[in-house]
Amino acid sequence: MNEGHDRIEELLAGYVLLGLSGEDAVEADRLLSEHVPSCPRCRDAMAGFQAVAGDLALAVSPAQPPDLLLPRIRRGVAETPVRRRRRASVVAVAAGVAALVGLAGLSISLGDRVSRTEQQRGRLLAAMEALQQQGTSPVSLQSQGQTAAGLVEVSGPGLERMYVIGRDVPMPSAGRVYQLWLGSNGTFVRVEDGAFVPDDGLVLLELTVDAGRYDEILVTEERIGDAPASPSHLGHTWHAFLAQAA
Amino acid sequence: MQEDDRLDLELHRRVSVGDRQAFEGLYRRYAPAAYGLALRVTGQDSLAQEVVHDAFLALWRAPEAYDPGRGPFRSFFLSLVHHRAVDTVRREERLRRRAERASNLERGLGEDVAEEVVEDAYLSTRRKEVREALRTLPPDQRRVVELAYFGGYTQARIAQELGIPLGTVKTRTLAAMRKLRRALYRED
Repeated sequence: MNEGHDRIEELLAGYVLLGLSGEDAVEADRLLSEHVPSCPRCRDAMAGFQAVAGDLALAVSPAQPPDLLLPRIRRGVAETPVRRRRRASVVAVAAGVAALVGLAGLSISLGDRVSRTEQQRGRLLAAMEALQQQGTSPVSLQSQGQTAAGLVEVSGPGLERMYVIGRDVPMPSAGRVYQLWLGSNGTFVRVEDGAFVPDDGLVLLELTVDAGRYDEILVTEERIGDAPASPSHLGHTWHAFLAQAA
Repeated sequence: MQEDDRLDLELHRRVSVGDRQAFEGLYRRYAPAAYGLALRVTGQDSLAQEVVHDAFLALWRAPEAYDPGRGPFRSFFLSLVHHRAVDTVRREERLRRRAERASNLERGLGEDVAEEVVEDAYLSTRRKEVREALRTLPPDQRRVVELAYFGGYTQARIAQELGIPLGTVKTRTLAAMRKLRRALYRED
């Protein structure tokens, strides 16, 4: 067992240093999806190595960036609309939703995390009311082969809200986040507030969108902070066809 | 939790609701460290600027990518910079002159060349601890970590460069990372 974990930790150490390639990189991705999330020893090792990798940056002497860099970044900031930030809502719409979408164990998994988001209680209650409206229908997104983790989309006529819920969802690759896309007639558009990372495997997104206008839903991995015009189809991917609006 | 980590958390929270002043607060705290790192990895001013520019805009566009439950903001953000720098240097590999890069790598980690840069005291303190931890590593182990982290080399490439088996690179890397972890986080 120790030998096995030493081998895994070798891969994790290489992974956080961005040193893996070929079969090692594939194996590390598999382990990070299938083994590490459920193994306390490996989770601990991964967290420790990630912290070391973050601090290694400090071994280099600091250097004053050119004076023109900050104004350039300010321009970039000004050109980026302030989104309604919804990170906290990832764990907001909690236990009651589990029964509606059939993700067994979701409410147990959420556990005390609901209490960490007290400020989200009002939104949670509103969302749950909306979810129980007549015609609301959950749709299961199918993983495109890399993971058994489930994602479910919930929307309904007149709801103008979409919820994406999941458990045991692996972390995206380093430097990436998951991105939600909606498709119509084979063309996908990026959902503006649809970038997310799981919280200990849990995903619970609340989005303002009229899902009735679309016939497909897709989740891909994209680089953090990028705003791609089309899905990359790299890494973990989930997909489903949505019921057409009446 | 350190007071400086709390300040980072507060600034990040404000960035998450679109506060530009807080964003610039994080820029002032981390731009010198980020630029120094990007410069070391890429070896070129223009590439380093692109890396830091992209990393800060990524933070502005997707602040939710940082989960406070997974460690200090400092680690998250500098890892983001490192990741982008390595991506960049691998993409630009053909433009990089080996001699120039080798010279950068050989520059002593313990010898500050830019200490006049204004930096928060806690970063300066942590910097000394990290350098000291690196110094305590056996040279063979330190070398593989430096080549991977600061050189952007894959382990396969390191094996090739040093003329040692890939398995040895992996073993040295793991041993080094375990020692660094113990040294930096005071584990038994």
